[in-house]
Amino acid sequence: MEKAILAFAAALCVCTGCVTGIFEGKVAIQAVESIGKNPDAADKIQSMAIIGAAISETCSIYCLLVAFLIIFILGA
Amino acid sequence: MKIQTAVYSIIIITVFIALLLVYINRKLVKFDPLSEPKGIVLVVMMAAQTFDKMVKEKTDERVAKYLTPYIMTVALYIFLSNIAGLFSLETPTSNYSVTLTLAALTCILIEVFSAAERGPKAYIKSWFEPFAPFVIMNAMSKLSTLLSLSLRLFGNILSGGILMSVIYQLLAVISRKIPFVGEFNIVGALVAPALHFYFDLFSGVMQAFIFITLTISFIGKELPDK
Repeated sequence: MEKAILAFAAALCVCTGCVTGIFEGKVAIQAVESIGKNPDAADKIQSMAIIGAAISETCSIYCLLVAFLIIFILGA
Repeated sequence: MKIQTAVYSIIIITVFIALLLVYINRKLVKFDPLSEPKGIVLVVMMAAQTFDKMVKEKTDERVAKYLTPYIMTVALYIFLSNIAGLFSLETPTSNYSVTLTLAALTCILIEVFSAAERGPKAYIKSWFEPFAPFVIMNAMSKLSTLLSLSLRLFGNILSGGILMSVIYQLLAVISRKIPFVGEFNIVGALVAPALHFYFDLFSGVMQAFIFITLTISFIGKELPDK
């Protein structure tokens, strides 16, 4: 029973990453749109999009780490 | 005291990089500047140009002279560490000590460049901006840079490794249903290469690129003009 609760908690933790997925997709959409409007600035837009995506990804990576901690430390 | 198994792969990768750089140095010293570059010399030249351009975009000429060699070495190290799983070594970047060290190096560099740019007095003052109690906030923001840089690399690579091992277990279960050859995990041998391509190669290149891009832009943020 206890293990089931831990597994559910870990799954819930990882589920929060889907929001990051949606909004990282939005970063990509915006980058593509702005490159379409202004192809000369493609280099700058690309690096900014990657940095933005990487920074917003941090949040979901924390969720993932918490899930790992739940599985491997609490569940061991 | 127990030695972590990742230490062996760290040593192997470090020695490999050292030998590679010595070899490249030999080639470059022998290289005649008037002839056409080819082979490894051409690759190294193109890489150096790309990285130099990347660093100069965010920082200035003077800083780029010191920063570019560091960035190139770190990129090579992180890239080789990330794809170490393909050579059946344990991935060093899935060990938190390694990524924490790399992120700590970046954080120290940020502080060093910031101090060198502003001078010691203005640097100490920058910790207490806009007024004295904000020293806690400033320290927290520096600590969060360290944590997010190290945990990003660590989490991405570790999750890739764990996902791969889970997928291998799943494929082994599926291939046991096949008669005669089931014990060999034949489905795994067919499906896994494509996944290795994503989780090891693509993710490894992306994470190395993101790490160095963030390092460059954090340092560039501390410089005055750009």
